[in-house]
Amino acid sequence: MRENIVEIENVSYSYPRSPGMVLSEISLEIKKGEFFGLIGPTGAGKTTFCCALNGIVPQFYGGRFFGKIAIAGLDTLDHPISILAKHVGQVYEDPETQLIATSVENEIAFALENLKVPREEIMRRIPRVLEAVRLDGMEKKHPAELSGGQKQRLAIAAALAAQPDLLVLDEPTSQLDPIGAQEVFSTVYKLNKELGMTILMSSHAAEEMAEYADRIGLLSYGKMLLVDTPDRVYSDIPLLLENSLRVPQVASTFYSIQKKGVPISKIPVKLEEGKQAIRELVQKNDTACTLKIDDTSNVSKKGELLIHVKDLEHVYPDGTKALHGVSLDIHTGEYVLIVGQNGAGKTTLVRHFLNLLKPTSGVLNINGVDSKKLTVSELASHIGYIAQNPDNQIFNMTVWDEVSFALKNLKFSKEEILNRTEESLNSMGLLEFKDRHPLALPKGDRARVVIAAILAMYPDTIIFDEPTTGQDYKGSQYILDISRKLHKMGKTVIVITHHLYLMPDYAERVVVMGKGSILLDAPIRQAYLDTEKLNSTFLSPPQAVLLGKEISRIKDQEFPLLTPIEVADCFSKNGGAI
Amino acid sequence: MEEIKPRGQEREVKNIGGASIDGAPIAYIVVLAAVVTALAFIPFSVVMASGGSFPMNQGIFGLIGWVLGPIAGAVSSGIGALIGVFVAPHTAGVWFVTVIGAIVTSFAAGVMGTQNSKRKAWWIGVVVVTLIAFGIYVGRAILVNGIRLQWAVLATFVNWSSLLLFILPTRNLVVKWIGSKNLVFVAIGLALGTWISFGIAHTVQNAFTYTMFNWPEEVWVMLSSIIPIEFLSRCAIGAVIGTGVIAGLRAIGLVKPSEGVY
Amino acid sequence: MSMKFQTVERDSIFTRLDFRPKIYMMLVLTVVALIWESPVVQLSLAFLILLACFLSGVKMKFIRTILLIMVPFYVLLLFTHGFFNISQVKTLTGREELTILFSIPQNWFLIGGLNFSLEGFWYGINTIFKTLTIVLVVPLVIFTTDLDNIIVGMVRAKVPYKLAFIFSATLRFFPLLFSEIGMIIQAQRLRGLAMEKMNIIQRVSVYAKVAVPLILGAMVQSQQLEIVLQSKAFSGDPDRTYLHESILSKLDYFVLIFFTVFLIAAFVSWAVWGFGAFSGPTDSILF
Repeated sequence: MRENIVEIENVSYSYPRSPGMVLSEISLEIKKGEFFGLIGPTGAGKTTFCCALNGIVPQFYGGRFFGKIAIAGLDTLDHPISILAKHVGQVYEDPETQLIATSVENEIAFALENLKVPREEIMRRIPRVLEAVRLDGMEKKHPAELSGGQKQRLAIAAALAAQPDLLVLDEPTSQLDPIGAQEVFSTVYKLNKELGMTILMSSHAAEEMAEYADRIGLLSYGKMLLVDTPDRVYSDIPLLLENSLRVPQVASTFYSIQKKGVPISKIPVKLEEGKQAIRELVQKNDTACTLKIDDTSNVSKKGELLIHVKDLEHVYPDGTKALHGVSLDIHTGEYVLIVGQNGAGKTTLVRHFLNLLKPTSGVLNINGVDSKKLTVSELASHIGYIAQNPDNQIFNMTVWDEVSFALKNLKFSKEEILNRTEESLNSMGLLEFKDRHPLALPKGDRARVVIAAILAMYPDTIIFDEPTTGQDYKGSQYILDISRKLHKMGKTVIVITHHLYLMPDYAERVVVMGKGSILLDAPIRQAYLDTEKLNSTFLSPPQAVLLGKEISRIKDQEFPLLTPIEVADCFSKNGGAI
Repeated sequence: MEEIKPRGQEREVKNIGGASIDGAPIAYIVVLAAVVTALAFIPFSVVMASGGSFPMNQGIFGLIGWVLGPIAGAVSSGIGALIGVFVAPHTAGVWFVTVIGAIVTSFAAGVMGTQNSKRKAWWIGVVVVTLIAFGIYVGRAILVNGIRLQWAVLATFVNWSSLLLFILPTRNLVVKWIGSKNLVFVAIGLALGTWISFGIAHTVQNAFTYTMFNWPEEVWVMLSSIIPIEFLSRCAIGAVIGTGVIAGLRAIGLVKPSEGVY
Repeated sequence: MSMKFQTVERDSIFTRLDFRPKIYMMLVLTVVALIWESPVVQLSLAFLILLACFLSGVKMKFIRTILLIMVPFYVLLLFTHGFFNISQVKTLTGREELTILFSIPQNWFLIGGLNFSLEGFWYGINTIFKTLTIVLVVPLVIFTTDLDNIIVGMVRAKVPYKLAFIFSATLRFFPLLFSEIGMIIQAQRLRGLAMEKMNIIQRVSVYAKVAVPLILGAMVQSQQLEIVLQSKAFSGDPDRTYLHESILSKLDYFVLIFFTVFLIAAFVSWAVWGFGAFSGPTDSILF
């Protein structure tokens, strides 16, 4: 009988200045060697929960605490955080701020030094943990030299070095690109399976959690609504949707099929199970698909040539070749998705469109004018850019000032400024916050302030750079719905993201970038089905696409499906015809 | 609406807080020092009197003293300036003079606003040190180098005026203004406070630089018009940056260090 | 300017020394340079240090940048001391009349009639090389020391651990903040701020305003830093173990003793025989 590493009894907690309970009546046991996944919408209390496991809640924050949490038998209120730190390793969401040392080995040594581990022992542990996370030999590297995935793996190594009983990871992959996220998941999985490390991980990455977790806990408004295996949790789709959570696409696909009246005995949550189930379904049921891979009926009509790029090259001052041989044309009214790993050149390319960077060689015309002849501020009112981190785009003292900032710079009349600012705030649901300091708002709202500020300029083209990174499902949908609204208004929309599964309802065209050049530029249906090209840059298409491919393989007929609904439609009684 | 009592037993919570220096969390000290270093790269003007262009971080030493308190502020500014010297030498001038300037400005600013009743007499210490430095500086000028009195007085206007304002109750008035809810008063308090705190630091710095460089009288004549203008621009920057920061800190509601006066 | 701490790549006597004797050396040399006024010894000392920088691998580009920044200042020093330093130099050299090297014609505007003296020139040289020594000894010490050795050296030299930690954490984080400055300005340009059309004063005020979100953003992020430090059992308590060591070898002790002797000798010889004083025994070849 495995011992309990974590015992939580009737725990409730409220922060000093919060009105209600942030955690409410939580009871849970986690056994040694278990991989426990924690899911929940933003604001559910996941971070508070994670911080409660090493005593930071409540010892550091204060507030009111009810009940008991014991880690390896130690009560988290009776032992100082410095003792609990020996038993619980924490890994946080932001790769940058959680690394505090100037070299890899110092990062790993830091906690050990604080815990008074003898020097010789520290020196023994460093290479061991580096090997466990596959960062062997990198002792002397400076954190700035590491990629996002490497940084998070270093954070894991540092947490691991204290030889804790429990490793807690709070959204460790949400700031990473797909390669980085994959590195972290496989590292954590390996630690769990090979070293028997007890893991508690909170994450929005539903597909991965379904694959790796032994049990999943659903936290919503501070309450633990459900604790069960991934199979049972992720197949309870109504509950998850009610709590604004994403389900693995495999599960939502079969749920949609079930809703069409096709009998499904068990909703699969993992991809391989899904493929197996699809095979069985196809054998038992009629399937028909009227979609064509080059179906362009949904694509909006092409407008004038907006951005013309030919053989663009960009070399940074230090010699790195960021872009080479890039050619592409974007017409007004298009909705373009740009995907690729970090370092592929996506942001570099987009900064050329904004004239923040000039081509080292090649042609770049914006609205027919050579970009070299334009200034950044001239373009600003036509092309709006919403960068990934809202905090770097906030520099005024009130939300109102922030949203009207651009209008003042562009010398609009007082009346026009008043009208546009109010309209913009209204459309983003921010009017009630107009006198508040933007930095006092929660992160999700700060992102909306920035969007409102850009939209106030009425730009014709809007570029969203990684708008869904760090957002939960509801937040991502909110922003993407805005992008769709803008697109329907006739604006040109460019979105950079690696969350491929979110985009089929929005984007029409996909540009895949890798290592500074364009690997693929095609309508979305074509692009998503080109698994080879995507895999070559370590991207994988959404699970629904892969299920569609499985159907195609069995029926030896093209089933170019993008979304769970489209897969379900193949099984509907009238064969998918609309 | 009735409050539902949680089922679990309520526990006694010992709030320990984090590591700190003199009531200011170390995390604050670190990030503000990093800001000081980052701003060391932004030159503000090219002034000859101390051997290099002066960097923008000089405008925030006072603010750091009023936010973190004298000791934590001095540590933060000092370490930030020290690292700035290593990585941005083009704005550094003579290194220990720059670092002393940072430390003394923040310390003097913090002393002006100290909330700690046991430190009420610290301002006297600051005055004594400044007087000694002033003596070395001007004494050497008049006695050793034969600078005439009227030029000595004119060129050191910022030094003796700031010391005077520090000794007089103006220092308390400045702190009161910085703590005022009216941002206009905050700005005035910051501007005047920067004049005072940087003036004191300048005096201490000059005890060193003058001993090194021994400017003859003609240079004193020139400096008497340049230095006050430099100071005015520092005060302007200090007021602009400081007001924005204080308004923001109040609005965001971050935990205030125990010696903070905003 | 490179963001990274520019530690040298070459191995030399300086890299083999521990941080503490090097800091001691730096302080001694700074004090001595402050005491000395003779252009001959100042020049020699500065030259030796420059040579040491070169031999120990301190990047010449770095040295060149420093020199380039200082050159206008040095010219000014030479100018002011050459033309205007009259009474002080007369006192120090004990001469009634100064040797005039050249004069500006009387009819020139404002500066007509000024005489450039030899003695003033030499005094200017003294000031220049004094400054140069004080400036150059810093990269010589700092860049030949591994950052880890600096931190542990500080602690072994009884610097409170909290300060040493703040030093290393600031080094870690300032590049991030510096890049944020660029990002904030970029975001402002993308909202119509036309930097190209601004004069110097306006540009400066843009940077000043950038400092506000920079500072506020940094302080908001510091909350997360606090939590991270807590999770790693950090309390600022110096009672902890250290991965890196700072042990004094025979060479280190030798250096400590050598510079102590040097300091005493320099001070005594200056006080008694005027060694190193302006127009003293070392300047006999000049005057």
